[in-house]
Amino acid sequence: MQTMLGKAANTDWFGPLAVVIVAVVVIGAIEPTFLSAFNIQVLLSAIAVNLVIALAQMIIIAIGQMNLSVGAIGGLVAIAFAGMMEVWGVPAPLALVLALAIGLAGGLANGFIVAKTGISAFIITLASLSFFKGLNLGITEAQPFYGVPDAVKAFGNTNMLGPIPWLVLPAAIAGLGIWYLLAKLRIGRQILAVGGNPHAAELSGISIFQTTVWAHGLSGLLAALGGVMVVARLQIGQPSIGDDWLILSFAAPVIGGAVLAGGHVSVAGTALGVVVVAIITQSLVLFHIDPFVVQVVLGALILWAVGINRWREVRVERRLRGAS
Amino acid sequence: MSGVVLQARAIGKSFPGVRALDKVDLTLAKGSIHALLGENGAGKSTLIKLLTGVHRLEEGELLLDGKPVQFDDPHAAIAAGIGVVHQERNLIPRFSVAENIMLERLGPSVLSRVDQGALQAEAKRWLDLLELDVDPATSVMRLSAAKMQLVEIAKALSLRSRVLLMDEPTASLTPHETEHLFTLLQRLKRDGVTIVFVSHKLEEVLQICDSVTVLRDGRNACQSQPMTGMGRQDLVRLMIGRAEQIPAWEARDRTTAPVALQLDKVSTSLGHRDIDLTLHRGEILGLYGLVGAGRSELAKCLIGLFPLTGGKVTIDGQPAAIGSVAEALNRFGLGYVSEDRKQEGLVLAHSVLDNAGIAVWSKLAGFLGFLKNGQIRERVLPAIERLEVKTPSLAQQVGLLSGGNQQKVSVAKWLAAGVRILIIDEPSVGIDIKTKAYLHELIRTLADGGTSILLITSDMPEMITLADRIAVMDGYRLTGTLVNDRDYRRMSQGIMNLIHGEEQDAA
Repeated sequence: MQTMLGKAANTDWFGPLAVVIVAVVVIGAIEPTFLSAFNIQVLLSAIAVNLVIALAQMIIIAIGQMNLSVGAIGGLVAIAFAGMMEVWGVPAPLALVLALAIGLAGGLANGFIVAKTGISAFIITLASLSFFKGLNLGITEAQPFYGVPDAVKAFGNTNMLGPIPWLVLPAAIAGLGIWYLLAKLRIGRQILAVGGNPHAAELSGISIFQTTVWAHGLSGLLAALGGVMVVARLQIGQPSIGDDWLILSFAAPVIGGAVLAGGHVSVAGTALGVVVVAIITQSLVLFHIDPFVVQVVLGALILWAVGINRWREVRVERRLRGAS
Repeated sequence: MSGVVLQARAIGKSFPGVRALDKVDLTLAKGSIHALLGENGAGKSTLIKLLTGVHRLEEGELLLDGKPVQFDDPHAAIAAGIGVVHQERNLIPRFSVAENIMLERLGPSVLSRVDQGALQAEAKRWLDLLELDVDPATSVMRLSAAKMQLVEIAKALSLRSRVLLMDEPTASLTPHETEHLFTLLQRLKRDGVTIVFVSHKLEEVLQICDSVTVLRDGRNACQSQPMTGMGRQDLVRLMIGRAEQIPAWEARDRTTAPVALQLDKVSTSLGHRDIDLTLHRGEILGLYGLVGAGRSELAKCLIGLFPLTGGKVTIDGQPAAIGSVAEALNRFGLGYVSEDRKQEGLVLAHSVLDNAGIAVWSKLAGFLGFLKNGQIRERVLPAIERLEVKTPSLAQQVGLLSGGNQQKVSVAKWLAAGVRILIIDEPSVGIDIKTKAYLHELIRTLADGGTSILLITSDMPEMITLADRIAVMDGYRLTGTLVNDRDYRRMSQGIMNLIHGEEQDAA
């Protein structure tokens, strides 16, 4: 029993899961409305959207890079999605496909430039962040698109089953899809191999170029999905969508045990990271605490998570040194 | 010798400003172990990169089984049966042994599902072939360095390598592990695999290789000669054009000089126990041991990187409790030249002045921490000149200097800071033999000038050239101390006996 617990304690999901359980119990005891159907629905909507955003960053962390343009891609896709439907009357399913294609294209462009030039993704995506955001503001002139069809609004604001919103469906598919890809598919293993040791991966004949382009393409696609989901939830195409994604997109994977140097991420951990962030945000609202405090708490949380990850690494190193 | 498997003809390669290889030939016989030797910078790595598709072949030709081949990338070379085990580990630490072995064959397309069971079964076959008792599902980061290397060999073999290039394969192995590796290589050779063995350890080359190619300044000093009848001196002569010898310097005795550094029953948090050591003023005390014996670790404890857990350190007669590197330097005049100068010794992208001056900044920093380059130059220049660092100017980027000059800069740094005790760790790693000789004279001159030197090296000739006395460490303990009488055979035998302890009669 103790060894099982010990094993669990070494996984990525154990820490955040413990935090989630304790938080739910404590907050639920103090404030019973926290566990009301309505609140759970609000919480799950936020978690669904944020999970997709976090996955968009996680896949790039897996390859050992950063994507600063996740929010800018999501924002551009969001206004493109809403704008196509309002201005051109494009039917929602077609608009969805086109919107996702825009995100994919943006991600592929990031990946192509990073892989081709060898310049760090940090710099390339910093540039593309500005580029995508500029396009966004140029198109919208900072005005939202309001003509979102009712079906889309309903998808973002009604429940599939009990208190579970429809938004959970695409998030769950994305989560399972990325988990399957990283754990089971060749491209996923390539992404983790390149993140773990790019030199070794390359000498094993793995194409860094192909792998990088794939990872960024997936990241763009996920960011686009996030953008579409936010439009459905907010019921308008806000130009500012995506502006506040950056910190969350790093916080959740890191809380979930991701190694920023690459090669190790956890979908389950990231999902729990998203839940932790959502619970904290929600409970601060519930207890009428200034929403700006959320940022401070989030910052502290990232530091704490990075510290835990580091501590675990050091422990493994020590054990290995002791064994040899 | 049955037939040629791979032949390189008149291979050339130029980098901007450097002619790395010039008309180099290499002929590899099927089922043989072929040594590829040369000093650092002789062109070995460039040749390996050309043979394995890392660099594109632009001059000369490669014949595989008599047919011309062209490798555009590493994958093409692997597909043609040319495998390589690099000096640095090329494994994905968090992946399983099986996945590492099968990394290029995870599936036919990028969207294929990876069948871990099948990977493990396939990997097991190759692990068994090497008699390597490792569960293929274990993650690689849990293995020892030696096992990781065997995993890499298993990987190369599983790719049906007919030619296996091994770059310094024994660098991180214990003698026992090395013997095991050699038995394995002999077996592979009998199975028809051709092995190219790159090593600086000439004894190993003589022991195991059938033929040898030596490169010198990018050209063949000899091409695929049989090893029979060759001796260590012959190989050294081919590599540097002169025979290696212990210089006929006077033996020195400084044991009557005042004691500079004394360790009394010192234990450390890294596992050293009961270390007694005495270093006199102006003495060169060698600390010999195999890789992993705990020598660099002791040095790092002494300069305050890791805490001591017991015993007493005395410097110049004063008890010294050193808590940080800054304290070691500023209060006790103790400096450490790291064996890993690229990672721990120098900031390669910075200038010679900045590198050599880094240790004096705290002494020279004025009001509000302002540093004047002129003042630093004043302190640094004598050290740079004394060590004869060859650099166009003090503003030169250190990364652009040769290995030997880089090493001199890392010594100059401590001289400029006025250290009285210098721990020098593996001073000649990655330095060609000519520069090495200069470096040895330099260390000797330093000691003659009164600097006490604790010299850590695994290079036996270097140890016997330089040290006045030699302390031997094994398993984080000292096993004895010898006075160096500069007789190579007697000293090396004595050191070996101290390392192997009770096994000495068998040797």
